[in-house]
Amino acid sequence: MTKKILIVDDDPNITSYLTEFFEDNGYATCAAPDGREALDVAKKEKPDLITLDLEMPDEWGPRFYRKMSQDPEIKNTPVIVISGLSGNQYAIQKAVASISKPFDRDELIKIVRDTIGDAK
Amino acid sequence: MFKKILFATTASPACDHAARVAFDMAGRYSSDLTVLHVLGVPSRGFGQYVTDVRTGEQLVPDEDYVAWVKEEMKTTYAEQLKQCPECTMEAVAGIPHTEILRFARKTDADLLILGGHTKDRENEGYTYRNMAGSTLQSVARSARCPVLVVSRPAASFWGGFSNIVLGTDFSKAAEHAFRFALSAARQLDCRLHLFHALDISGMHAGKMLEQDEIENRLRDSLNTMRRKYVSQMKDFKNYEIDAWEGVPYVEIVKYAREKFADLIVMAHHTGSRDAETSALGSTMEQVVLRATCPVISVNHPDKVSQNA
Repeated sequence: MTKKILIVDDDPNITSYLTEFFEDNGYATCAAPDGREALDVAKKEKPDLITLDLEMPDEWGPRFYRKMSQDPEIKNTPVIVISGLSGNQYAIQKAVASISKPFDRDELIKIVRDTIGDAK
Repeated sequence: MFKKILFATTASPACDHAARVAFDMAGRYSSDLTVLHVLGVPSRGFGQYVTDVRTGEQLVPDEDYVAWVKEEMKTTYAEQLKQCPECTMEAVAGIPHTEILRFARKTDADLLILGGHTKDRENEGYTYRNMAGSTLQSVARSARCPVLVVSRPAASFWGGFSNIVLGTDFSKAAEHAFRFALSAARQLDCRLHLFHALDISGMHAGKMLEQDEIENRLRDSLNTMRRKYVSQMKDFKNYEIDAWEGVPYVEIVKYAREKFADLIVMAHHTGSRDAETSALGSTMEQVVLRATCPVISVNHPDKVSQNA
């Protein structure tokens, strides 16, 4: 089965860029514009990996993460933090990696592959 | 609660993390935010020259200069100002802690927000010599309102409150901290975690405790919390109580991390009887430096009882 990535970001440009980028690399994707919606999408879609922005208008990334980690079905999903905030590596301590915007796409896809393997 | 916030800043990267919290809180809780920057320290006595805190230059802080500094502050915080455009920017010359306390009185602030240490040695700034900065020490000692400290980047991720941890040693000072934590939890609809750390650090110095004794004391601590605190909470049910043994500051930091705390509330100093002369307690100081969330120090009961 094709592996699925959930993209959580409030900036539609980033979301569409990442969607296209992951799909070009063979992954399936789904997206959510903030932490609250992301939780519903994560429960429904059961993604293999989540890319998470930190600062979002409704619910911030770290709060989404703590809610997610209380749900036994999705709590072990690996998370990659992608954010423009400085010091973002401290925000979610159990994240697989923290990447600053603007980011290097090769570096991102390498982390994704190292974490969940190839798309199929 | 948090109607009037005073954020004292160096307007340098050392305070960026505190700024994130200050502006986010002001936006989220519709608070009046005053951003204060003490731009220069007077050379001596009534001398007209001040030493600029950023550049180290000697200069005269006339109206033009102060206006220019305010403009610079607006540029520094341009992004953050979008989320709370109403905030007031102030720049003054003076001894930092005196001016911060003066402004806190003047604006009748019910919360003061400070960054950690500004001794900037790249990323080491906040743990410089492993102690809290001198301005923070003086402000936390004398402020009539609770003081919120964001001393490391990890402590700055926000997005509202949902878990508040109260670290208590059952002292009189901790009682004020409890009252503040309870009213915050009530008003902001948070879960309140009451926590006591049983100090067994003496073990390495040969002061051994039997495991039975440790467990008896932990049980006693839980009962003390029920008696002292839970009995005062009336209809408030969104709480839990815990007691762990260990080195107190380590246990408090660990507990807060485990419970996803957004805020730790502690008394400024619990051992000293005179609030006006005591420095930050040693446990408090280490918690401030190491916590993964902002820490509020409560020293004087004035504003706490007003808020309760």
